[in-house]
Amino acid sequence: MWRDALLIAGKDLRIEARSRVALWQVLPFSLLVLILSAFALGPGPSTLHDAAPGLFWLAVLFSTVLATQRSFAIESGEGTRDGLRLSGVDPAGVFLGKTAAVAVQLALLQVALWAGITLFFGVRLHVIWLAVVASLLATVGLAAAGVIYGALSAGLRVRETLLPLLVLPVLAPVLLSGSEVWSAALFGHAAAGESWLRILAPFAVVYVVVGIVLYGPLQEAG
Amino acid sequence: MKYVDAGYVICLSVLFVYSVSLWWRRRRLARAVATSDVSSERGRDREREG
Amino acid sequence: MRTIVLRSVGVAAIVATAATVWLGLWVTPPDQVQGTLVRLLYLHPPIAWVALYLAFGLSALASLLYLWRRTRSLFWDRLAAASVEVGVVFNALTLVSGSLWGRPTWGVWWTWTARLTSTALLLVLFVGYLALRRVPADPEVRAKRCAVAALVAFVDVPIVHFSVDWWQTLHQKASVLNATLSPTIHGSMAWTLLLGFVALTLVFVWMVTVRYDVEVMRDRIGNQELEVSLAERRAEGSTGAVNTPESSSDGIASGEAGSAEPPVGGPGHSTPVRLAAPEPTGGGR
Repeated sequence: MWRDALLIAGKDLRIEARSRVALWQVLPFSLLVLILSAFALGPGPSTLHDAAPGLFWLAVLFSTVLATQRSFAIESGEGTRDGLRLSGVDPAGVFLGKTAAVAVQLALLQVALWAGITLFFGVRLHVIWLAVVASLLATVGLAAAGVIYGALSAGLRVRETLLPLLVLPVLAPVLLSGSEVWSAALFGHAAAGESWLRILAPFAVVYVVVGIVLYGPLQEAG
Repeated sequence: MKYVDAGYVICLSVLFVYSVSLWWRRRRLARAVATSDVSSERGRDREREG
Repeated sequence: MRTIVLRSVGVAAIVATAATVWLGLWVTPPDQVQGTLVRLLYLHPPIAWVALYLAFGLSALASLLYLWRRTRSLFWDRLAAASVEVGVVFNALTLVSGSLWGRPTWGVWWTWTARLTSTALLLVLFVGYLALRRVPADPEVRAKRCAVAALVAFVDVPIVHFSVDWWQTLHQKASVLNATLSPTIHGSMAWTLLLGFVALTLVFVWMVTVRYDVEVMRDRIGNQELEVSLAERRAEGSTGAVNTPESSSDGIASGEAGSAEPPVGGPGHSTPVRLAAPEPTGGGR
């Protein structure tokens, strides 16, 4: 399973390295969300400063939807998904590999977004370790849940509108906890933030396990 | 003053690196065009024979 | 002939830029009001001028000329693309240099004023153009799409600028200091600034020309590779294996549909569907 996961993750990341879609589309999109937030909330520095953690995670969530859609779009050509299934690669491995690839992209995206909110909203990260841990946990959870729902909607023609509708409510706990932890990390009260990590961690674990177990039947259904 | 220095360093190095990358891309492509010309010649010859 | 001209432009650009830097950093005196910070203003306005007016202006004009039937030619499309790429680089540098000037002056790296906001949006808009350009398509189709994108982006900027300006005055927030060059511009400062404009304009001309060449050659390679594979296929004759070309579509949802590697430019360049992974593993863990 692990070897297959590595294989699939490598394939997905290599495709990304060559086509650079995440770099040229998802990344600008996420920064655009930040810019648009300023349009929505007004230029006042204090409003944006206070809203920064929430806006950061909102941008991450929307980018997760895009990254997940892309992860399945690369296999939407005729026969690709069947080929993948017939090649005998362990479905759990496929799930883990795809999750890993999406997670890597999301992690790098968050670094850029962090730079973005530091620059655009004038915030400063005070408790770095808290933010990093939260991001790592959240990223795994986001990627796992995203890939599960991505597989669910992969074969469907309405997938562009269906995937966000399905997956975003599921990701709401990550949005909430992530914002709380980052708020603590940005504005300096670490203790409050730590308790929210207790939501991010189980979320990640649960969705990874669910994915490993359910991906096989999901692939068959697609 | 460090802001001024940073500004000059960043702007000049980005412009320099980008210029070099452009020059290098053009060179690489020019070579590729040359070899591509040769192989398309060969391809057309093969087609004529085949 | 062209090579000679290009090379001289390049040399002139390097010399002029070096002169600007030397004058800007060492020869000119510090400003009465801003002190040493004024030195950034020998770079920042010229860079902004190149980005916004030269580069994006040229791309908008070229796009217009492409779309207008009487002057339609891929030359304009390629010129526009080259200009946009160079423009994006200069735009990013505008924001960076501006930020570096703003931090010690206003105390913040960024502020949502009309000018900065519209400049940032301009960057995103033209990055979008570049992303659109990377989607594989027939050159004429791509040219048309990109031309429209460039014009829409260009038109949007004054709209944004005016709306944000109005937004700024509605939400009368903390006043943004409008620092200017000291009223009595010392002779050498004015000349250095002028030299800066000249230098960076030369840099721009050189960059766009080279980038244009790159664009032309890229398309040519794409077509030639297509020719080669078509010729080879015809020579093979009755091998029968027909690879249906993947339909090139844009947008994230169906990016490089099915191929492990994106096709290089030419229309209908077909790639057999294959994974990057070599052999199937027999379900081993």
